[in-house]
Amino acid sequence: MRDYIIRRVLGMIPLILIVMIVSFGIFSLVPNPFAALIENPRIKKSDIQRLIKAWGFDLPWYLRFFKWFSGVVHGDWGPSLLYPGSTARDVISRALPVTVRVMGIEFLFALSIALPIGIISAVKQYSVTDYIVTVISFLGMSMPTFWFGLLMMMLFSVVLKRPSGMPLLPPGGIITPGLEEAPFWAKLGDRAQYLVMPVFVLAFSSVGGWARYMRSSMLEVIRQDYIRTARAKGAPEHTVINKHALRNAMIPIVTLVALSMPGIVGGAAITEHIFNIPGMGSLIIAAEIKSDYPTAMIGLLLTSILVIVFNLVADIVYAWIDPRIKYS
Amino acid sequence: MAEKAIEAKKKGQKKSSEDYTYVGMVFHRLTRHKLAMVGAFMLIFILLFVFAGPLIWRADPNAQIEGLGGMFNLPSRAHPMGTDDYGRDVLARMFFGGRISLFIGFISAISSTIVGAMVGLVAGYYGGWADNILMRFTDAMLSIPTFPLLIALASVLGKGVWQIILVIVFFGWMVDARLVRGLVLSLKEQEYVEAAHAIGASANRIMWRHLFPNTLAVLIVSTTIGIGGAIIYEASISFLGFGVQAPFASWGNMLQNAQQFIWNSPRLIIFPGLAIFLTVLGFNFFGDGLRDAIDPKLKL
Repeated sequence: MRDYIIRRVLGMIPLILIVMIVSFGIFSLVPNPFAALIENPRIKKSDIQRLIKAWGFDLPWYLRFFKWFSGVVHGDWGPSLLYPGSTARDVISRALPVTVRVMGIEFLFALSIALPIGIISAVKQYSVTDYIVTVISFLGMSMPTFWFGLLMMMLFSVVLKRPSGMPLLPPGGIITPGLEEAPFWAKLGDRAQYLVMPVFVLAFSSVGGWARYMRSSMLEVIRQDYIRTARAKGAPEHTVINKHALRNAMIPIVTLVALSMPGIVGGAAITEHIFNIPGMGSLIIAAEIKSDYPTAMIGLLLTSILVIVFNLVADIVYAWIDPRIKYS
Repeated sequence: MAEKAIEAKKKGQKKSSEDYTYVGMVFHRLTRHKLAMVGAFMLIFILLFVFAGPLIWRADPNAQIEGLGGMFNLPSRAHPMGTDDYGRDVLARMFFGGRISLFIGFISAISSTIVGAMVGLVAGYYGGWADNILMRFTDAMLSIPTFPLLIALASVLGKGVWQIILVIVFFGWMVDARLVRGLVLSLKEQEYVEAAHAIGASANRIMWRHLFPNTLAVLIVSTTIGIGGAIIYEASISFLGFGVQAPFASWGNMLQNAQQFIWNSPRLIIFPGLAIFLTVLGFNFFGDGLRDAIDPKLKL
C-alpha cells in the first residue's frame, strides 16, 4: 500500500508538467500585447521596451516558459492586470476559498440526493419510481447549466417577490453589503440565501449522471450469486440491500465522482459567472475576457492541480475500500 | 426483453434469431426502447424545424425593423415568436441559429471521435512507451477543467464556426481515446488479429481494417451522446461572447444577447434555451437507447 501511494504521488509530477505546458502553450499563442502600444504616440518608447522586458516578451517562447515556470515554483505569480495594484497571488487567495466552499456544499448536496435515488431506482427496476428518476436524471444531464441558472433567476428573483417587494432570493453575489460584521447566525442565514440557487443549479446537473451510474452499478451487484446466497440464507431484504449489495456497488462510484471533478469545476465556472460569485471559475473567465493572462494561467494551473490531487485521493480510497485491487 | 422477443419468434414462428443481421438486431432492440424512440422523434422534429422551417416561414433572420416600434414585439401573426432587441424576427433566427448549433455539434463530435480513436488505436496497439506517453497526456488533458480552457483557446484562436469546432475537438477526444484503447487491448489478443499478422498485414492495415471496425459500434454510441455535449459547449462559448459572432445567430449567442433583457423580455431567453435543452435531451435519450441496443454493459 505504501509503495502504491508513493508511486501514485510520483506519477502526479508528469501530469502537472503536462498541464503546465498545455496552459502555457495556449496562452503563448497570444500575440505580444505590447506591440500595439507602439502605435500610441503618448507612451514613451523606452517605457514600452521596459514593459516588454519585464514580461519576458523579448525572449523566445521556450525561454518565456522557463521564466514563468521558475516564477510559479518560487511563488511569484506576477501582477494581476484585472485588479491593478494586486498580485495574481492575492487575487487567487481571495477566490479559492469561495469556490471550495460553494463546491463542497454542492458536492455533499448532490451526493446525498444522487446515491439514494440511484439505489431506489435499481432496487425497484422498471417501476414508476425508476422511470421518474431516469427521466429526471436525463433532464439534469441535458440542461445547459447557464440556461437553467437564468431560468431560476427569472423565477426566484423576478417573478416571485417577498411581501416587502424584495426578490425572494438574491440574483447574485455571496453576501448582502453591510452584513459583513453581523452576528454569526444572521451572517450564516444571509449567506445561505445566496447559495440556494447556484448550489441547486450545479447539483441538478451532477445528480443525473451520478444517479444513473449508481443505478447501473447497483443493478450489476444485485444479480451476483452472493446476493442470491444472502437471500437464500433468509437475510431480510434491507440487510441484503444495505449490507451486501450497497457496499460493493459503492466502490465504482468513488472513481466516477473523482472523474466528474473537472466537469464540476468547469460547470461551476459558468454558474459562478452568472450568479456573480467571486470564485476561481468566474475569476478565470473574467481574466480571460480582460486578457489578464498571468491570472488566467495560474488559475487554470491551480484548479487542475486541485483536480489531480482529488483523483489521487479517490484512487487511494478506492484501493483501500476494495481489497481485490492489486497494487502492483 | 429483446432477447425474449427473439426467442419467442424462434419457437415456431417465421423468424429465427439467425435471420437477424447484427444491424437488424440492434435496430430491432432500438425500436423497443421507449426513451430511444422518444429521443428519435424529438430529433426528427428538431431537424424538420430547423431545415424545413425556413421553407415555410420565409423571414430574413438578419433583417431589422427600423424604429422603436420594431423592437421587443410580443409574439403575433407577423412574428410568431416576437422580435428581439434589434427588431429581428426571433423565429427566423431560431431556424438559422439551430442550423449553426447542430452543424457545430455534429462536426465536432464526429471529429473528436476520430481523433480519440486514432490516439486510442495507436496507444492500445503498440503499447509500451507510446501507450505510456499518450495516456499520460490523455490523463493530463482530462484533469484540466474543460470550460475555462475552452474559453482560453477560443479567445486566442479567434471567433468563427471552424475555430469553435477546433476548440471543442481539442478538448473532446480524451474519453474516446480511453474507450478505444481499452477495447483494442482485448481485441488485439484475438486470433483473427494473429491471423492477419501471419499473412503479413501491416500495422496500419491491422489497426484500421481489423481493429477499428470492431470499435465502431461503441464509437457510434459515444458520438451520439457527444453531439449533445458539443452543442452545450458551443452554446456556453457563444453565451460568453467567444463563439459565433453577430449578426449570425446561434442558439448560444441568442441567449447571450437576451441575458440583459431578462427583466422585461424573458421569452428571448426561454426559446433558444429550450431548443438547446430539447436537442441535447433528444441526443441523450437516443444515445442511451443505442447503447442498450448495442451493449447494455458498456460504461459511457
